[in-house]
Amino acid sequence: MRHALVIAAAPRLSAQNIAFNEVARQAIMTDPDFHGGHYYEKGVVPARGLRIARMIGHITYLSNDAMMEKFGRLLRRGALGFDFDADFEIESYLRYQGEKFSSYFDANTYLRITKALDYFDPAADFGGDLAAALARAKAAFLVVSFNSDWRFAPARSREIVRALLDNRRIVSYLEIDAPGGHDAFLLEDARYHAALRAYFANIEL
Amino acid sequence: MVTEEEKALLVARPDLAAIAQWIAPGARVLDLGCGDGALLRYLWDARQAPGYGVEIEDESVIACVANDVNVLQVDLESGLSLFADGSFDCVILSQTLQAMRHTEGILREMLRVGREAIVSFPNFGHWSARIQIALGRMPVSATLPYAWYETPNVHHCTVTDFEDLCRRIGIRIRERLVLHEGRPVTLMPNFLGSIAVYRCTAR
Repeated sequence: MRHALVIAAAPRLSAQNIAFNEVARQAIMTDPDFHGGHYYEKGVVPARGLRIARMIGHITYLSNDAMMEKFGRLLRRGALGFDFDADFEIESYLRYQGEKFSSYFDANTYLRITKALDYFDPAADFGGDLAAALARAKAAFLVVSFNSDWRFAPARSREIVRALLDNRRIVSYLEIDAPGGHDAFLLEDARYHAALRAYFANIEL
Repeated sequence: MVTEEEKALLVARPDLAAIAQWIAPGARVLDLGCGDGALLRYLWDARQAPGYGVEIEDESVIACVANDVNVLQVDLESGLSLFADGSFDCVILSQTLQAMRHTEGILREMLRVGREAIVSFPNFGHWSARIQIALGRMPVSATLPYAWYETPNVHHCTVTDFEDLCRRIGIRIRERLVLHEGRPVTLMPNFLGSIAVYRCTAR
């Protein structure tokens, strides 16, 4: 591998990251339609759990500022309903995203993917020394973080950069001041795209 | 023997050409406030000196990526916590000291991280600056190009001031080159020089 672009990442999950994953997993596993994972045999899916898992996920991908800008305190029905339907646009948005997700994403897969994320820790085999773990990396690295990303904050990317510097690797690091939270890695940003374009332009095929 | 690249650099940034002269071939270099990476590019091409640049401005950082130099977008004011003690042969701070809030801090950090530090800055003691102040205005010149209300430069100093600071905080000056319009100034450098370049070590 000659080049590695590491974007909005972390060298391992924090306790808070794991905590959110656990809440999502609990929602799925305590869904009455989960049946210990054998839900297809029963002809059902734990849709409620998947919906809640997705809602939690979405909140961690967005930043507070982005949510205020996109949804604010906008009301769906023009006035407070004094019921437990969705009063605010953000509630409606999360319900919709959850509904969509639960219709196509497999619950057992979600459990396993989040576990894999929780377990991921290359430094663990080296007594917690990330620099030792990355010693055998030969690729050139471009590491990018977004300063509104609170799921994988820039400090996490800097841990990766520090480990690469300790190994004297070819590495560049960008900390982009973009407002979208972790989602920023998917969104339009002139500086982010210009940096990637510039990096790709220098890669010889 | 001056190569074509050196000539080009000499014309555009005479202080960078001076700095390049002080870098041994193969030396590991850290360039703080590296702009578009021109110096790093030059040091690699002409002296096989591998290096990293630190730069905060988005456009400059992208220019570095395009220039194929290692660039790290971090704020110098927070220090050099990304870098281990003694991990570089030379740490360079060219024409940036005067724009730093933490001047003493960055100098100390440079000498923690590097064996040597090279610092360049515009000399506020140049006669043209003194005349302008005597006439009642903040100086504006080729090396002090900003109006007072929109300048990033918060800590101007003169040749004499910098040398006093080094004495006070235990930094040893190994070499000094003072320039005006690209040419070395040996007579009355604090008065006739517009850019000062220093090579320093810890005591």
